This record gives sequence, structure tokens and C-alpha cells, in this order.
Amino acid sequence: MTIIPSSSGTSRFSVRRRTVFVGLVLAGLLFLGQGLARAQAPGQIPPPPPPPPPALLVFIDAPGLDPLALTKDLGFVRPVPGPEDARVLVRITSRPVDTGTEYSLSFVGQHEFVGVNDELRASSGPGAGPEEGLKAAGQSLTLGLVRYVARTPLSMNLRIALMDKVSPTAVSDPWNFWVFSLSAYGMFSGVSTYSSQMYFGSFSAQRVTESFKIKLAAGGMLQKDQYDLPDYQYSSSLDSKYVRGLSVKSLGDHWSIGGGFVVYSSLFSNVRRGIELMPAVEYDVFPYSQSTKKQLRILYQVGLKSFEYFEETIFDKTRESLWGQSLTATLELVQPWGTVSTSLEGFHYFHDLTKYRLELTSEISLRILQGLDFNLWGGGSWIHNQLSLPKAGSSFEEVILQRKEQATTYNYFFMVGLSFSFGSVRSNVVNPRFSSSGGSSIHIEM
Amino acid sequence: MNPRTPLRALKLLAITLALAVPLAAQDAAPDIETLKKSAPKVFIDCSRCDIEYIKTEVTFVNYVRDPKEAQVHVLITYQGTGGGGQEYTLSYSGQLEYKGIDDVIRYFSNRTDTDDEVRQGIVKTLKMGLMAYVARTPIARRLAVTYAPPEKPDLGPDKWKFWVFNLSFDGHFSGQKSVSEHSFDIGFSANKITPNLKLKLAVEADYEGDRYVYDGETTISNRESYEFDGLLGWGLDEHWTVGAFFEVSSSTYENVRLKFNPEPAVEYNIFPYSQSTRRQLCFQYRLGLESVRYREETIFDKMSETLLQESLSVNLNIKEKWGSITTSLSGSNYMHDFSKYQVNLWAGISVNLFKGLRANLTGGGSWIHDQLNLVKGEATLEEILLRRRELATTYEYFVMVGLSYSFGSIYTNVVNPRFGSMGGGGISISMN
Repeated sequence: MTIIPSSSGTSRFSVRRRTVFVGLVLAGLLFLGQGLARAQAPGQIPPPPPPPPPALLVFIDAPGLDPLALTKDLGFVRPVPGPEDARVLVRITSRPVDTGTEYSLSFVGQHEFVGVNDELRASSGPGAGPEEGLKAAGQSLTLGLVRYVARTPLSMNLRIALMDKVSPTAVSDPWNFWVFSLSAYGMFSGVSTYSSQMYFGSFSAQRVTESFKIKLAAGGMLQKDQYDLPDYQYSSSLDSKYVRGLSVKSLGDHWSIGGGFVVYSSLFSNVRRGIELMPAVEYDVFPYSQSTKKQLRILYQVGLKSFEYFEETIFDKTRESLWGQSLTATLELVQPWGTVSTSLEGFHYFHDLTKYRLELTSEISLRILQGLDFNLWGGGSWIHNQLSLPKAGSSFEEVILQRKEQATTYNYFFMVGLSFSFGSVRSNVVNPRFSSSGGSSIHIEM
Repeated sequence: MNPRTPLRALKLLAITLALAVPLAAQDAAPDIETLKKSAPKVFIDCSRCDIEYIKTEVTFVNYVRDPKEAQVHVLITYQGTGGGGQEYTLSYSGQLEYKGIDDVIRYFSNRTDTDDEVRQGIVKTLKMGLMAYVARTPIARRLAVTYAPPEKPDLGPDKWKFWVFNLSFDGHFSGQKSVSEHSFDIGFSANKITPNLKLKLAVEADYEGDRYVYDGETTISNRESYEFDGLLGWGLDEHWTVGAFFEVSSSTYENVRLKFNPEPAVEYNIFPYSQSTRRQLCFQYRLGLESVRYREETIFDKMSETLLQESLSVNLNIKEKWGSITTSLSGSNYMHDFSKYQVNLWAGISVNLFKGLRANLTGGGSWIHDQLNLVKGEATLEEILLRRRELATTYEYFVMVGLSYSFGSIYTNVVNPRFGSMGGGGISISMN
């Protein structure tokens, strides 16, 4: 590759003196230019120099500039005295302009980097001194060399960062961050004896900034299934519609207030029209700015739920409006040892505290040891708030095909997985042969 | 725009100069908010990336919602490596004023890497490739590039000779009062993958059981299958591969007590295999022996049979800036009776038609005339509704069409985690 072979473990090399010798000869040859410059005084016994660290070999042709000075802070670059061994040839030229000096940098890749070329320009701003121009040229040199380093193992030790904190909304946006989306989907499937159709449609409008979030969405779903056997016919349909909204105002790095509403209709749940209005407040134990690494959010909601039913319920109601409250704790961690996403939610109505629901969902993926992974995905609910169940009950098909909500006091689903792998970790080989026969997978998110 | 006063003309000139000079001096420096406005506009096209993490870590560019608005389009494709990790290929393509500035940089993840380690690796690689564009904008001078020499020595030769082993166990459980389901699967695999050799061996056992209560009566239904799969592929050159598939299996759903199925195969890829992350068009032919012992007598009065079968498949996979296409057409027939055949078509197409408008089509169909394994006699209602038993059919299809259109602000820089994903709307469909 682009790098000089490094010392692969000092202890191993101290045993194999011949290898050290060969390494030194190589290093000596490559370092000829610099070696001469730093020649020891005669009579002094030179200590054996350590093998050079791996670096990108660059030949810099910059009339009037010192290549060593330009690259002295770049640990991943070693300037070489001639163009032959260099992986990158850089030519820097300058010309005076009204505002100072303008530098042109041309990068030409050699050896394994043939064809990787670039041209950059740098200059000092108006009124700035010559050292500013030189600094700008140095920065362009650094950035221009990154694409070569990216192709070597050195890249994993390179760090690039913006020195300032900047707001993500520092852009000129004529739409003021509003985004609108429309989508429609249809799905159809069948065999000789069975066919199914599903339709989805939705519209959404949202504006998300750091200080305020507003989302509005409306949509619907319709599903139809038909069984057609010589002595058995059955068809069923399921539909649901919703309009929902959410607005959240940020109060510092830990607190948020806002609220959500939903108006919906669901055949599955026997709800002709449901309206829920829930103001809410949230506290994040960790600052929100660390959300992609860790979050522990505690959300409290209190509000009104109003229902109009399709059929009379087991409690002899055709409509009702009730107050309730809920508390939700959500933990999300993405750390080098694994990923955790867990949420616990409790809800109850105020008119009757025995009408409650407790729900736990969790997704955990951990690296227990190198090669040993544990996965858990699941959830469970204690359900005591099913006010909408129809008095009339359900047919056999409605139960087995899960077309209607059934009375229950609990439900659960979980998946556990353990995977242990061992053997070679070094093979970055991609071999696509004989692998195209598998189909693709589709992922649907609603 | 004609400036009316000399003062205004001067002002304009000053602004023009400030914008035209890429690396202006510190003293006259505009603040970071101003620099960010002229940072490159980037569209990240990646179905498997943690986009929010990328946005919080890489703050020196602007992210846009639609590929057509971007100055830099980054297409990230991935493929499995022999060591069990992934090869991520980041294809950068310059658009608008950066047209012609393109690059391809790769990142390899390890099999043992966690999600966090992989996203860090992708971000590191993404940043490096973006330098070529960022270096052309004024925000470049606020970047710090630092290098820490590696501490760990090189790992030495691979004592496992490219072999990778995996043992896995999965259990699924779900239920409520009237319905409960559980399933288990356990598997072991041993793979050796080098540029020209592909050897994959796997054993797997699956069990699935359901319980339904209706009218006080409990219905229990099970399904189980066992399978050994082997694959040997030998690359002859950039286009040809020869080898064989091998399967030994047993399945209650398919009415198979034991099946033994060796299939020599040959494959030709019109594009070189080295371009497989972006494009593939493969033709594969297999000729196999199928020796089956059934669990119950079939509609053809058989308890066992040994037959020759041939199959041909064509697969096209393309991933480009305008979208992606995955299609597969395959056909097979038994050699003793050509009327016992099956044809399968599968297609997934996702295209950015114009700014904001995206269309998806996914679908598949099969013409089935080779169900030699069907059980004589009738299936129960549960077996039909829960698909516990293969039923006679002459076709099978699945089609999904979708259209989505977005308009409004092109910028998507903001990550706002407050109140989680509450109140979201819409549907998003992605294909892998």
C-alpha cells in the first residue's frame, strides 16, 4: 500500500535481528534525503533509529516554500525528496492578487493512486498578512491529501472535526423548514384459493427546528381478504383512518412541553370515532444534544379521550368521554458495547382506577464477548382498559385472523437470540458469486 | 440587479469578494453561522445508516432532502465480506458546481463490531470523502485534521485460513388470552470465502407452534423443518463461476420426510463481479437430482420418488443515483415431464422521477405446476387459514405500488429528539 512497513510488535523484532537489519536498510534507503540532512557528527556512534512509522509518501514541489515546514504537523504524511517513490505529487504555485497571494495546489496520484487527482485554490483574505495566505495554503494541502489517506489503513487514526459549534438551522431557507409529503401505496397478493388487497394513503406536514417541532399527518388504511375454496368462502375487510398532530417546544437542554391530538376510526377496535387530546411535558435526564448516544426521557401526558362505538360495548355504551393520564420512561443507548432501547408506559382513566394499562417494550443488542452477541426484542402489556369491546363477540375467522380486538388481560411477544461466531476476522474479501439467487427484502414503516 | 448608489455598489463588491475568496483571513473572518450557509449541500443515499448520528457528527456540511438539490450525492452500498463483516462503498458524485469531482472510498466493518462502532467507521470514512468538496468552501478553514499513530501492532497472519463459524439460537414467543405462538430456530454455519472460492455449509432446525382458543375449545397447530445446505462456488474469471448447491431437508409444511437434492451449477455475470455492489446481471443454470420421501401419500399416489430437475435464473441488480432496480426471473422443470414446471418473477424498482417525487414498484408472481408433494385428502380450516399445509394452486402473486411526493424546505440538518417519534405520519418503504 502507500505506507512503509511498520514495526509489527517490537518484541518480535528484537528476537529476529536479521529482520531488524533488513528493516533498517530499507528505512535507510527511504530516508536517504532526511538522513543526510540530519547526519551525525563523526566519531559518535549512532543509536539504531526505530523503524519509521507508516505514512503517506508525498513529493511537494513548491518553489519558495519549505515542504518540511508545510507538513510538520501532519503525522500521516512524510515528504520524500524525489517524485519516484511518492504516492502523491503536489505542486504549489503562487501569484499575487489584489488581496494578497493566491496559491494553486495540484494533486496527482501515483502508483496505486493513479487517476486520483485534484486542484485546489487558497488565498489570504483582504487585508491579511502573508502568513495568513501560507496558513490557508497549508490547510488546503492537508484537506487535499485526506482522500489519499482515506485509501490506506492510516485512515482509521485520522480525526476530522469542525472547531466550532454551529446551529443546524444556519441556512437560508425560503420554506422556513416546512416539509410536506404525500404518499399512496397499494398491495395486492393471492393464490388460487386466497387473495388480499391493502391500500394506504397519507399526507403530512412538518416543521422541525431545534427550538420547536410541529407535525401534522392524516392517513388511512383499507385491507380486504377473500378465501375461496370449493366448499368454503369467506371475506373480511378492515379499515382505519386517522388525523394526528404534535407540537413540542424546547425549554433548555432537558425539558420540553407540548401536546398531541389524534382523531381516528378503527374497525378492529370497534371505534367509529375516537378523539384524544393530550397535553404533555417531558424531561430528559441526559441533555437532548446527546440523543444519538444516550437518552432517558420521562414523558407525562394528561387529557381527554372521547369515543363513539360501531356496536354497543360489553359495558352497554355507544359513546363516552373520559379523562386519563399516562407516564412513559424511555431509555435509548447506542454505545460501543451495544444498543439498548426500552420503554415503559403506564396509563389509567380517572373515573375508575382499575381501568389501566401497563406496557413494556424493549430492544437490546449486546456484545458479551468478542464474537458472542445477545439480542432481545420484545414487549408485554397488562391490559385492563378495553372499554370498546363489542357485546356481540366475534366469529371464528375474526379470532383466528385477528380481525377484531379480543378481550384479554395481557399480551406479550418477545424474541431472544444468541449468536456465537469465531474464526477469521481478517478477510475483507467480497465474493458475490452464486449469491444473487436470494430475493430482496422489503421493509415497511408506518 | 443594478446598484443605485456607489455605496451599494461597494457593498456588493465586498460581499462578492468575500464569497469568491475561499480561504479568507481570520481577521476579516465571517462567523461560523455565515460559513455554514455556503457549506456543501449533501444528500446521503443509504438505507442502513444512522442518519441522525451522521447529522450530529458531521456538522460542516448541509443536508438536503432530495438528491436533485444536492451538490454532493453520496451513495452508500454494502456487501458482506468473507470475514462476516460488511464492505461499505461510499460513492461520491459532485453535482451542480461540483460536477466532475467524484470519488469512491471503502470502509470495512468487522463481524464483531457493534452498531456504534460501525456508525463511527462510516462517519469517519464519510468525512474523509467530503474533504474534496469542503476544501472548496470557506468553512474549510475551521476544520481540524489530527492524526494519532496506531498503538496496536499488526495482527500477523490469519491462522483461521479464512474460515468463519457461527452458532445461533433464536426464540420467538407471543400471545394473549385467546392466541399464543412460539417458535425456535437453531443453526450452525461454517463459511470460507476468498476472492475465487466460496464454501458455505449450514444446518438449521425450525419449530413453530400455535395455540388458539375459540368457544372454550383449544386448537394447537405445529410446523417444523430441518435443513442442511451446502454451497461450493469456484470463480473462473471476472464473469464465470462453477460449483454446486446441496440440500438435505425435512418439512411438515411441504409434506417432505426427507429430501436429498444435489445441484451442480454454473453462473455467468455480464458485469464484472468486482462491480457487484452497484450492478449485477447474472444468469445461473442448475441441473439437480431430487430424491424425496413423503410424510403422507401425495395426490399422485406416491410415497417417494427420485427425479431430475433443471432451472435457469436471471438476476439484475442496479443501484444508481436515480434509484435502484432488483429483478429476478427464474424457471424450473422436471425432466421426466415438462408440464411439471414453475416460473417465478420478482421485481423491485424504486426511482426518483423528479425533484421530490419517488415511485416504487415491488412485485412478484409465480406460475406453479409442479406441486408433486401435495397431500391427498382435505386440509382443516385452521390449516387453511394459518397456512400450515401447502395447498394446490396454479399461481401466486404479490404486487405493491407506491408514489410519494415531498416539497417544501430542502434542508434536513435538524435532529430534534423531543417527545420521541410521537405523532409521526406517513409510510416509508425501503428495499434491501
